[in-house]
Amino acid sequence: MIPLQNISLPPVPLAVLAFDGLALQAGTAHDVISLLVVTQLAAPALTLVAIGLPALLGWPLAERTTTRLVGAGFTTAFLASLAVLFVLIMRGFATEVVHVGTWFAVGHHEATIELVADGLSVPYVCFSTGLCSLVNAFAGKYLHREPGFTRFFVLLALFGTGMNLMVLAGSIDVLFAGWEFLGISSTLLIGFFHERSNAVKAAIRAFTTYRICDVGLLAAAVMVHRAVGSGDFERIFAGTWPNAECLVPSGEATVIAILLVFAAMGKSAQVPFSNWLPRAMEGPTPSSAIFYGALSIHAGAYVLLRCEPLLDASLLARVMLVVVGVGTALHASAVGRVQTDLKSMLAYASMTQAGIIFAEIGCGLRVVALVHIVSHAILRSLQILRSPSALHDRHELEAALGGHLGAGGWSLRMLLPVGWQQGLYRVSLERGFEEMAAMRLVIGPVWRLLERIAAAEQAWIDWLGAERASVNENARDSIVNRSDGARR
Amino acid sequence: MSSESLHSSLLCLLAAVVAAPLVASAAVWLGISAKSPRTPAVAAMIVSLLASLAMTYLWNLDSGEAIEFGDQLGGGSFVCIDGITVVLMPYVSLVQFAILLVAPNRFLDTSATVRILLAVAATFATFSTAHPLALVVLWIATALPTWISTRNTPGGQSAARVFAIAILPAIVCLAVGTLLMVADPPWAAGSGPMGASGGWLVAVAVLIRKGIVPFHSWYPALFSGAPLSSALSATMPQVGSYTAVRLLIGHADGVATELVVLSQLALVTAVYGGALALVQRDLRGLIGTLAMSQSAMVLAGLAGTLPMELNGAFCVWISSGLALTGIGLVAWALESRAGPLSIQTPQGRFRDSPALACFFLLFGLATIGLPGTLSFVADDLIVSGSLDEQLHAGLLVIAATVLSGVAVMRGWFMIFGGPAAVDGPRHLILPRERIAMTVVLATLFVLGLFPAPLVGLLERAAEQLLATP
Repeated sequence: MIPLQNISLPPVPLAVLAFDGLALQAGTAHDVISLLVVTQLAAPALTLVAIGLPALLGWPLAERTTTRLVGAGFTTAFLASLAVLFVLIMRGFATEVVHVGTWFAVGHHEATIELVADGLSVPYVCFSTGLCSLVNAFAGKYLHREPGFTRFFVLLALFGTGMNLMVLAGSIDVLFAGWEFLGISSTLLIGFFHERSNAVKAAIRAFTTYRICDVGLLAAAVMVHRAVGSGDFERIFAGTWPNAECLVPSGEATVIAILLVFAAMGKSAQVPFSNWLPRAMEGPTPSSAIFYGALSIHAGAYVLLRCEPLLDASLLARVMLVVVGVGTALHASAVGRVQTDLKSMLAYASMTQAGIIFAEIGCGLRVVALVHIVSHAILRSLQILRSPSALHDRHELEAALGGHLGAGGWSLRMLLPVGWQQGLYRVSLERGFEEMAAMRLVIGPVWRLLERIAAAEQAWIDWLGAERASVNENARDSIVNRSDGARR
Repeated sequence: MSSESLHSSLLCLLAAVVAAPLVASAAVWLGISAKSPRTPAVAAMIVSLLASLAMTYLWNLDSGEAIEFGDQLGGGSFVCIDGITVVLMPYVSLVQFAILLVAPNRFLDTSATVRILLAVAATFATFSTAHPLALVVLWIATALPTWISTRNTPGGQSAARVFAIAILPAIVCLAVGTLLMVADPPWAAGSGPMGASGGWLVAVAVLIRKGIVPFHSWYPALFSGAPLSSALSATMPQVGSYTAVRLLIGHADGVATELVVLSQLALVTAVYGGALALVQRDLRGLIGTLAMSQSAMVLAGLAGTLPMELNGAFCVWISSGLALTGIGLVAWALESRAGPLSIQTPQGRFRDSPALACFFLLFGLATIGLPGTLSFVADDLIVSGSLDEQLHAGLLVIAATVLSGVAVMRGWFMIFGGPAAVDGPRHLILPRERIAMTVVLATLFVLGLFPAPLVGLLERAAEQLLATP
């Protein structure tokens, strides 16, 4: 692995920085970088307010104004990130920590807002804001006159803000805040076509998975505070990415790393938390492209890359990452091959690559993983954006040729005996029985238990509230009705 | 401004806060504004809100010490203005202002308005006293309007009965408990078994009034059967938590054992309420169980020995109260248009009321810790504070937050998602509804984005409470 510093331009003396022919003192350079980093965050956030507030107050902006505002926000953030990237390259990717301020402080607990510009965050922001700008331009045409036009762009701006907040976070608390915005915007975009029952179910499923796995990140944040007394990355790691050292004691680092892996598994749709992803394609195509082809699907991987010194300190977490990643890649690859619609197939293809990226991170190939994320995201988002017109083109071609084009060629599965191929086909059709197992072994029993408890609660309330003369009769009826309901 | 004149000003403002709803209720009762009882009621709440905000400002100017007037009995004075009072007064004013503004016209007749205003005045009076016996009287004064309103609601008799069955024993326990505590004050060193027994009886009263497991049944029952104004007024100010603060914190032998037991039961309730919220079948049931879960979190933080835990509890008190009031108001607005709402299947209300959908979503997210809202700060404080002392408490708080989050989003999608009735009428949000909801929402966001002043104020209050011998 080549450390990122070694492939950068020769470092410039820190005292004086040559920047566009202007000699800047180190302090001034830090101020400029701080301003640019804050701009990367503030631009999409201001956009969110600018289009969200009028909509909330009942005066939504015109379509063109909306897309222009969102486009301007993302473009500004993109240009700011490019400028910071240039400065960072000039300075040999020396980490810049931007202390925005203290949000609040109670006793020894201090919630600080710190952002970090380094070899991981700045290229990632460049790529994510650039992609958001492109998707914004595409969606402006694609969703023209759609009833939820403004809603889509509000959620896109929320997503962009959350993404930049997560990527630029200099503390695990800020990272968690960005992570939450990602989950909420993703859920609401999956349920964008809310009149479809399937979209509603898919959104609830995705949010439940996110929420369960968020426990990992929240608990990890709390453990970090307990271990080092702060959530700032400066107190958790020493050195620059990707060669930073972990400052958390080994035992606690293992627990925190495992919690982070758990959190990442949910957001990046890794087995056994993967079945929400194909259903997430219920959302509009532009959001599918940017969320499940490009950015959201890699959010888990990004968090793992950001916290890589913690993984270094824990062999168990790294083994877990490799096992989960390889398992997901095999599962998604097999299941993706038997899908009958294009978006599901692309969802499984994304899942496969995310699994491989997890395995790469587990193996310590961080720069490879970062390059893999960026290249996969660009390719996959293009594929998803192209998918509706690609289908249309194919149908036209087939109509012109007067027959089907045929499918596929040679594949690895042909090396397997026929019996195995058939078995694999069946397992793949059932999506590896992952969902069935979750429903039968976990969700179903827990849900039924809760329904029974709720029914018993209601029967008790009915008994308490019934007039004494008819209390026994009412209570009996209530129990019977509720039990029937629970069974339904 | 000298200290004496500052204290006099604070006392005058407190009188204005309490008197405004009383005057308005008299005006409404005398028929001065018979056609629109809402007008004087809302005006009174605006006066109370402004006066209480002025109280907060003036108290902050002062040294921040508790200001006491009148006789001292047991643990507190007849009139007590401290950090808790000056934060809770504007909070209650805002909640009641929003309730009165959103209440449907057909509900807000003369008698309902008078009952709401009397209950508000009683709540204000409760939050301005630390006197144990005054608290007993004010418990009755705050519970009575709720019971009458619920009983007078068609189909609400059952809920009224459940409420009465719960609250009567609570008042008896509080009365006997406070008498025992006054006779043998645990605030003074060398307190005997009588004071301890009194403490336990007060703890039982708080358990019931807060709807803590196993005394929680009246919470969902009230939300199901009572008018939402009564349910919200009875639960959101959290008179039970206030009583715990005044009577169970600051004992001579440190944190009262009964408060520790209360907090552990509260943690269980927070998780249990969140789990029950997941499987509710109607919107009111969802709000009731969520309110039960969130209000239990407040009590869970009150047993802390660190100011941060108390601070977190107070923040949850305000954030969950405002957010759940918002959800309740949206639910009320929806019900007034469409009748009771099931959440078993998608109801497709988005097309009908997109603005209400927006408000419900934002209030829901503000309940479950959306970054940028006060609940995010509250969750951060309470989780960090709890974990500093006891790991299981922090994990249970996290579990409760997760369960509530899933329940809220499920509720939102079930109400607003799904196919809409093609020929159904559209019910746009009314201007007064929009104003009320925007004000509450803006408060949640402003306090969430700039929490330092509130957190600082609450920290001083928490330090005072923990330092009180």
